Amino acid sequence: MSFLHIHNVHKRFGDTHVLKGIDIAIEKGDFLVLVGPSGCGKSTLLNMIAGLDAISEGELLLNGERINDVHPSRRDIAMVFQSYALYPSMTVAGNIGFGLEMRKVAKARRREAIQRAAELLQIENLLDRKPAQLSGGQRQRVAMGRALVREPQLFLFDEPLSNLDAKLRVDMRTEIKQLHQRLGTTIVYVTHDQIEAMTLATRIAVMRGGELQQLGTPQAVYDDPNNLFVAGFMGSPSMNLVTARITRHEGRLVARIAAPAGDVTLPIVRDRAALEAWCDRDVMLGLRPEAITDPASANREDGDIHEATLEIALVEPTGADLYVVTQLGGRSINARMRPGAPLSPGQSTRFAFDVSRMVAFDPETEARIRDEVPATPDEASTGHADSTGNADSTGNILGQNA
Amino acid sequence: MSTPPSLRGGARERLQHWLPRLVLSPSFVLVLFFVYGFILWTTYISFSNSGMLPDYTWAGTRQWSRLWSSWTWGIALHNIWVFGLLYIVTCTALGLLLAILLDQRIRAEGALRTIYLYPMALSFIVTGTAWQWFLNPGLGLERTMHSLGWESFSFNWLIDANMAIYTVVIAAVWQATGFIMAMFLAGLRGIDGEMIKAAQIDGAPTWKIYGRIIIPQLRPVFLSAIVVLAHLAIKSFDLIVAMTGGGPGNATAVPATFMYSYAFSRNEMGIAAASAVFMLAVIAALIIPYLYSELRESRS
Ligand SMILES: Nc1ncnc2c1ncn2[C@@H]1O[C@H](COP(=O)(O)OP(=O)(O)O)[C@@H](O)[C@H]1O
Ligand SMILES: [Mg+2]
Repeated sequence: MSFLHIHNVHKRFGDTHVLKGIDIAIEKGDFLVLVGPSGCGKSTLLNMIAGLDAISEGELLLNGERINDVHPSRRDIAMVFQSYALYPSMTVAGNIGFGLEMRKVAKARRREAIQRAAELLQIENLLDRKPAQLSGGQRQRVAMGRALVREPQLFLFDEPLSNLDAKLRVDMRTEIKQLHQRLGTTIVYVTHDQIEAMTLATRIAVMRGGELQQLGTPQAVYDDPNNLFVAGFMGSPSMNLVTARITRHEGRLVARIAAPAGDVTLPIVRDRAALEAWCDRDVMLGLRPEAITDPASANREDGDIHEATLEIALVEPTGADLYVVTQLGGRSINARMRPGAPLSPGQSTRFAFDVSRMVAFDPETEARIRDEVPATPDEASTGHADSTGNADSTGNILGQNA
Repeated sequence: MSTPPSLRGGARERLQHWLPRLVLSPSFVLVLFFVYGFILWTTYISFSNSGMLPDYTWAGTRQWSRLWSSWTWGIALHNIWVFGLLYIVTCTALGLLLAILLDQRIRAEGALRTIYLYPMALSFIVTGTAWQWFLNPGLGLERTMHSLGWESFSFNWLIDANMAIYTVVIAAVWQATGFIMAMFLAGLRGIDGEMIKAAQIDGAPTWKIYGRIIIPQLRPVFLSAIVVLAHLAIKSFDLIVAMTGGGPGNATAVPATFMYSYAFSRNEMGIAAASAVFMLAVIAALIIPYLYSELRESRS
């Protein structure tokens, strides 16, 4: 039995069908991130978990109990809003303590709890101020304090960082992650920012147009996407997607991709059984930028490297990496190369493709073409990754350990 | 192209600079003369010997001391105090209550708001006359009740010297409440919906959400409402003239009707001028700090 179970939940506002049957289950201590473009129904789903919006159809179970009709204040949840929603006429201490006051907690115990939450968030010196006298980052902390002080079973966050400037956003992100690790709380967190989702989550739910596209660990969603949308949405720079023809070459199944100076042929090693059926047809191939490198920095231990010579169209150094753009399958594709490599536009160079990370999609339905049992090296799509595994992967995604 | 462009531009700029001033100057001169000029003139008259006609001989504070020793002026001041207080408090309370009810059920809002706002579109004279008919024992409510068979029904406040002032309050409240409601409704609409959701999760019942979180945020609206109502109360001349004419006796006399009757029927222009200047001073004391704080806020 899972801790929070969203079971076939629908939401209709009049005639508009906003959520179309969402199924998500998470365990205690999980950090679930709902991610997707604006308007896909993330906030609506979160509001339904909070009890602020009625559930049109389906069931919501917390700890095995049906809470569809339980009042928000009795669900043992706390929520942090995008606008922070602080009460302007009360001091910071009054804001943090309001929920306890409404629950008739004695004044002395209330003060203690406020103090503890304030220490945790380093806002003890702000307790007597009014929200109007605080900066954005401080308001954010107070809003979190208001949630923490009640020690609820479940925390809900609705885009809590999107009103902060970029630098502060990264700092607060780290702090939220630390809080989660320290307190071991269960969190449902809404964002439209896929980097936030990757760095924070233990489970990611990718949504689009009121439908769940994929639910899994960050690594699984990143490496083993269910469809073209998930592949394109997660990751920055985004996954390279090119049209390729599946054929047989010297007895092996290969993907042939058109390139200006002659086709590139890459062997199919992943999802081979499923792709057999696609022989002599076009598929959409996906390869992450970090799976296309210069031969020297290719990962030959875990990967399956195949090289090809291509002409460089553009070079984009970011400091930590060197992104090289080239033409393949009629599209510009991004490759991540060693920083400082002596490369310039117009030059032809060797590109190393890690075909073990290549994924294929049906160009019509946009669904992934995959074997019955996903044969990913880390088995991330089948189970929970532990938190250290996650930390490594997030480092990789942020491009910090290139 | 004989003239250099910069020169031509300069001429046009100068015209643009002066044209608005030229257009506005006649009205500016008229306002200066008829408003501020006559304020000064009235102030002077209040220190003169004027009776039926202006008399410019200086009389010091004679008219002022006559004003303050006048029995009728005392009644007028007492009435405006009772009327103003009841009017402001009732209008604010009712307006806020209606706004909260309307804010809860948004469906029929458009129609309801128009219904409540219509009275404000009527002039005080129309309001006064309508209510005078309605409350007149021989014409309105009482007669209707009698003809419906409720013979013992009696409502004669309009002609009761002790109660007449309250009928004026009722009519004035009826007229202004909708407007005050609209002000509060706008204020309520400006409140962040997420804050109310947060309070719900915090476990606050609806009345506490209003009492502790929403109403404290409406302080600027309260201030505006009170200033608007206070100056309407002091100016409430036409309503009283249409409804009671200041009567029965002097029962509903207020400073404005006092001034009118002293200036035009009792031939005491000096006292009337003194009472007018006094009213102006009270309104100025209310409005100027308000405008000052409003302007300062909008500038910052
Ligand atoms: N109260 C409402 N009435 C009608 N439509 C709504 C309401 N609230 C949200 N929607 C619609 O539901 C969709 C999902 O909204 P929302 O959950 O806020 O999206 P997200 O948080 O993912 O950006 C949007 O298309 C929005 O227009
Ligand atoms: Mg949202």
